[in-house]
Amino acid sequence: MTAAISLHGVSAGYKSPVLRDIDLEVGSEVVAVVGRSGSGKTTLLRLIAGLIEPTSGTVDLLGVAPKVARRRKRVGFVAQDARLHPWRTVRENVTLPLEVNRSARTNGHVSPDEWVARMGLTDAIDAYPHQLSGGMRQRVALARSLVIDPEVLLMDEPLASLDELTREDLRDELLRLWEARPRSVVYVTHDIEEAVLLADRVVAIGGRRPARMTGQVRIPFGRPRSRALRREALFHDLVEEVRSLLE
Amino acid sequence: MTARRTLVDLVVALLAIGGIAVILELWTRAFSVPSYLLPAPSAVAARMATDAGLLAREGGITLSEAAAGFVLGTGVAFALATVMAWSRPFERTLFPLAILVKLTPIVAVAPLFTLWFGFGTAPKVAIAALITFFPMLVNSFVGLRSADLQEVAFLETLGASGREIFRHLRVPSALPYLFSGARISLNLALIGAVIAEWTGADRGLGRIIFVANANLDLTILFGAVLVLAAIGIAANAIVGAAERRLLHWHPIAVAT
Repeated sequence: MTAAISLHGVSAGYKSPVLRDIDLEVGSEVVAVVGRSGSGKTTLLRLIAGLIEPTSGTVDLLGVAPKVARRRKRVGFVAQDARLHPWRTVRENVTLPLEVNRSARTNGHVSPDEWVARMGLTDAIDAYPHQLSGGMRQRVALARSLVIDPEVLLMDEPLASLDELTREDLRDELLRLWEARPRSVVYVTHDIEEAVLLADRVVAIGGRRPARMTGQVRIPFGRPRSRALRREALFHDLVEEVRSLLE
Repeated sequence: MTARRTLVDLVVALLAIGGIAVILELWTRAFSVPSYLLPAPSAVAARMATDAGLLAREGGITLSEAAAGFVLGTGVAFALATVMAWSRPFERTLFPLAILVKLTPIVAVAPLFTLWFGFGTAPKVAIAALITFFPMLVNSFVGLRSADLQEVAFLETLGASGREIFRHLRVPSALPYLFSGARISLNLALIGAVIAEWTGADRGLGRIIFVANANLDLTILFGAVLVLAAIGIAANAIVGAAERRLLHWHPIAVAT
């Protein structure tokens, strides 16, 4: 089986090069991408989504060019601090993905209302985004990305703007989601512990600009996982190993 | 709720105007100001009552010219802003032309329009359209470009077409800007219609003001100005009500 996402010798950058010689294959697994702020993590996600073109190398998404894959509506995207559509209620925000690009068939068999319920937002289903807390908004952002049941889920620091306790809750939520249905997930974060807790593999990018992959660490923990992993010695060794890749 | 807000706005506006009228009344009486300099509000009111039919008829004409000009001007502006938001080359080509239109003094083109289109309704509508065009163009353009880039990226990864992104994201994002453009343009449309009537017309409030000015007939002049103000306040109240209804999700509406 071919990887859902594959990058070969990819370099990118608008005016000055940002990323150089990236080789990455993502199958049915969670790959966390860690790096310092401004190291090109977001650029990597935008490359995979086909929102920008590489200056060299090739990007394949579900076996085709990202722009083609996008039209099949198999890609979910969760941004940091999603602003949602402020004129739509929670339910309407979650329904939005079903209203665009209707020609694409989605394999979503879970209704928007059910996603809202799974995210614990049923009481707020008719609320508008400005009435929600940051954590609730990110839950809506998750629900609306999952409503099309995407094979590929791209997440750009989805928890970065939340407080620590809310972040903990949402990490549990993410672990449950990935246990319920395996997907190809690229999870960008600057939080190394978060990366080790959530991912099957952590990829580090960094170095002087343009950034390149400085190494990767397999995370041997099975699933289901819980935050209790943090108490294990191996967890801390893995965190240290990833950290050493970033220095 | 919304209707009540509109009503309150109207009452406050009337009270403010009433207060000024009382002060002016006292002023004109206390200093026996001659009516060809400043007529007493009571005299203006009496004149408005006598000529109510005339004022209503001519006010209606001015209103319809302004409304037609507003619809035409803002409509064309929104269409052009859409094209400009769509493509940089169009933006670069059209924006200087829009500034040219903006900088052309209305008083300079108004007589010209009368020459081209005659004394009828057409030149008034054209002037009102011309004067409303620029504020609406700028606001629409900025509004359509104000869409959140993360949200654009989200819709793009879903394979949404440019048209879908326009309808679902760009237009709603632009709404607050469209309303502020409409508020500015609304009043300008009325001014435009009056100026156009002033420079050559046989009907409308502008014509009444023009003739009254020549005859030093200040009671009807002020009467016409008040009718114009009333039309303006009512139009603003209607736009305000629509704004509160459609922008209930917006921080401005939430705050008030």
